[in-house]
Amino acid sequence: MKRIIMKRLALLLLVVFGVTLTTFMISHIIPGDPARMIVGQRATEETLQQVRKQLGLDQPVWVQYFHYMKDLLAGDLGTSIRTQKPVVDDLIAFFPATLELALLAFFFAIIIGVPLGILAAVKKDTFWDHSSRVFAISGVSTPVFWSGLVMILIFYGYLNWFPATGRLDIGINPPTRITGLYLVDSILTLDWIAFKNSLWHIIIPAITLSYAQLATVTRQVRASMIEVLGQEYIRTAVANGISGPFLLFGYALRNALIPTITVVGLSFGSLLGGAVVTETIFGWPGMGKYVVESIAYLDFPAMMGFTLVIACGYVLINLIVDLTYYMLDPQIKE
Amino acid sequence: MKKVKWLSVVSSLVLAIALTGCGQNANSPQVQTPSEQKPADSAGSGETQTTESPNGKDTLVVAMTADQGTLDPGVSMDNSAWKITYPTYERLVEYDGASTEVKAGLAKEWKISDDGLTWTFILNEGHKFADGTPVDAEAVKFTFDRILKIAKGPSDVYGVISEVKVENPNTVVFVLKENFPPFLSTLAANYGGIVNPKVLDHEQNGDLGQNYLASNTAGSGAYHLTEWKKGEYFKLEQNSHSSVQPSLKTIYFRIVGDPSAQRLQLEKGEIDIAEGIPVDQIESVKAFSNVELIQQPSLAVDYLYVNTSQGNPALQNAKVRQAISYALDYQGIIDATQQGYATQMRGPIPKGLWGHDEQAMQYSYDPNKAKELLAEAGVKDLTLDFLYSDNKPFWETTALMAQANLAEVGIKLNLKKVAYATMREMIDKGEFDLCTGVWSPDFADPFMFMNYWFDSNSFGLAGNRAFYKNDEVDQMIRKAASINNIDERKNLYQQAQNIVIEDAAYIYLDQKDFLLPMSKEVKGFTYNPMLEGIYNLATMSK
Repeated sequence: MKRIIMKRLALLLLVVFGVTLTTFMISHIIPGDPARMIVGQRATEETLQQVRKQLGLDQPVWVQYFHYMKDLLAGDLGTSIRTQKPVVDDLIAFFPATLELALLAFFFAIIIGVPLGILAAVKKDTFWDHSSRVFAISGVSTPVFWSGLVMILIFYGYLNWFPATGRLDIGINPPTRITGLYLVDSILTLDWIAFKNSLWHIIIPAITLSYAQLATVTRQVRASMIEVLGQEYIRTAVANGISGPFLLFGYALRNALIPTITVVGLSFGSLLGGAVVTETIFGWPGMGKYVVESIAYLDFPAMMGFTLVIACGYVLINLIVDLTYYMLDPQIKE
Repeated sequence: MKKVKWLSVVSSLVLAIALTGCGQNANSPQVQTPSEQKPADSAGSGETQTTESPNGKDTLVVAMTADQGTLDPGVSMDNSAWKITYPTYERLVEYDGASTEVKAGLAKEWKISDDGLTWTFILNEGHKFADGTPVDAEAVKFTFDRILKIAKGPSDVYGVISEVKVENPNTVVFVLKENFPPFLSTLAANYGGIVNPKVLDHEQNGDLGQNYLASNTAGSGAYHLTEWKKGEYFKLEQNSHSSVQPSLKTIYFRIVGDPSAQRLQLEKGEIDIAEGIPVDQIESVKAFSNVELIQQPSLAVDYLYVNTSQGNPALQNAKVRQAISYALDYQGIIDATQQGYATQMRGPIPKGLWGHDEQAMQYSYDPNKAKELLAEAGVKDLTLDFLYSDNKPFWETTALMAQANLAEVGIKLNLKKVAYATMREMIDKGEFDLCTGVWSPDFADPFMFMNYWFDSNSFGLAGNRAFYKNDEVDQMIRKAASINNIDERKNLYQQAQNIVIEDAAYIYLDQKDFLLPMSKEVKGFTYNPMLEGIYNLATMSK
């Protein structure tokens, strides 16, 4: 176990290095001058050169990269060109909103996806199987900007059950910050006003986001369940008179879950990165919206900071997935 | 056994955090205190404030489409950030109501020396910054020295300042390097906002308070920023030291990126003003019984740059450029791109700004004339690159319409759609034949159009995007920018205008209407074309 963790953490460093190198190269290949974006289109050449110098853009690329890495190791991701604030501060402000949204979407995808997958496997080739397939596939094939709008139209426009945008109503205070996740913080501080309000705001965006991931979970659970149910030990169990839920959950599900975890784990990674569209539609103040606005401004430090966080997220999730494997089936060796 | 141990550790931890959290509940009734004078902050600091009804009579909610970058008036050149900064700062002079003329602001009077180099401003007494510090000549000097020291966007506009001198606490003198008649008008623009010198208390590594002012305000306007929840909203509250007592006490600028969500919220009265409804959806808001559509002529123009010296060699012939100007169906383009909410431009200076010439020659849609001109120029089978990006959604339509129109007269357009940043770079280097553009003035002076667009010293992004060079025009517009007599200036600009229209360096497409859906409850909004997207909050009510 310790060895896996150490190995993975070493890998993490390698990935981070690779990601910084790639994003840095890409950001310097893209035509467009961030200094020009700062000084405005009508500034004089003098002013432009001055700002280029301030930002170190007049240095050779490898020198710039060296400085970037040096600062990075000191925990400094640079200053955002657009907001003029340290990127770290911006990401700390925006990351919890994205994480909270992704976590809840992930939760929805699992509580709906796993039972649906089991149902489809047990009732293979029946009406239930087909319906669950249609439902799941429609999620992955409907663009999020469309399903999001439909959700807003129905639940805000017609039914008025949920608010359309934002994380809290105007005038409601965010709970005292502990983790930055409003739901968690409001429970910890017993702030039921903030809890109820933030729950109300997060439900539709989270369902919208999870709908797109549902197919992955459902189809994977179905496939593994069918495979497991066809194995000998299950038939033996059935022959021994074990049946019903006990057979499904006590025997089959545990084994069916192992391959599912990989898929689900990776799908969480894409939830984090893919929340961009959802955040835009629902006015969700997360990293996705932040990075979209940064791209329009050629805000390289912000874009690179975002990429780095997502890359680290992926690697960490992978690590967690592998550790879960190990715990579910200690026979699996590193 | 192991499990039990873990459980107890976790549960006691949760309990401990919950207990410590009890006293810090941000929404618990006992800590509801007014949030007077507290600094703005980024997301989630757990501040305390009253939970007022968002849409009360004294609260205005404006939905805007994107979050802002820096709010520092000495840095920002982004006019969408100005909707926050304009009402939070005061300037020496202000635009007067709906007019592009200026009136007294912080300065009650001013005089200009005969050579136009010395501008003396006498300050009104009694103006105070939001922290109670009086606004004096030192603050004015500090503001402009700071802009020049920071040397970002606005320093370009104020590069003409040689020195700012404090004569006495109420008198400040600007010494200019050269005569610059639009100077007064630039002082009424956002970057002329006078900053409280106390921002230096927040200075970090010699940044002159840039980091602080990026997300805080320090002006003497009727409002000040009390909260900025990044990505969600800005909250402006009344500056208790301001001499005016506005009817609207609290203003929220809410960020709602999606136009459909904005439309629904407007219909339900959750927001009072919706800025982000695109022109193709504007008709639908007319049906809302609670909403009024404000429609006014603006100074924002759509035009095409014709690369006269670095593009296709055929474009160096004025006849070819005129042919292109005659080949376009202006009304058709206006209907398709602006749903008819625009008028064809007449010359480079738009209607509503002094210097506009109602008699100026206007190109009309005349394909036959275009063909004749091309024949006269001896140009056949011309293929041109048309550059645009997705920065403005209607540019695609403009491109397609131009392609169809020009095909009729035998000119083939290669549409080149690139990322916005790339497009800007290509414009700057002159790597295009035709290109889409938008322009609106920062200050109310024909200088903003004539000198930026046509001076051969400002090739590329700086303004002359047609890479147009005409010595006679250069002389005229440079002279017009260096004398104070307004009639003489007008005369020079008009002569220059006639030449450049004939030279057809740009294609003058349209002058847009300003369109804004606003709740009928909102009263007193005055539209000033120089302050597009900026609200006269202090005199508005509900």
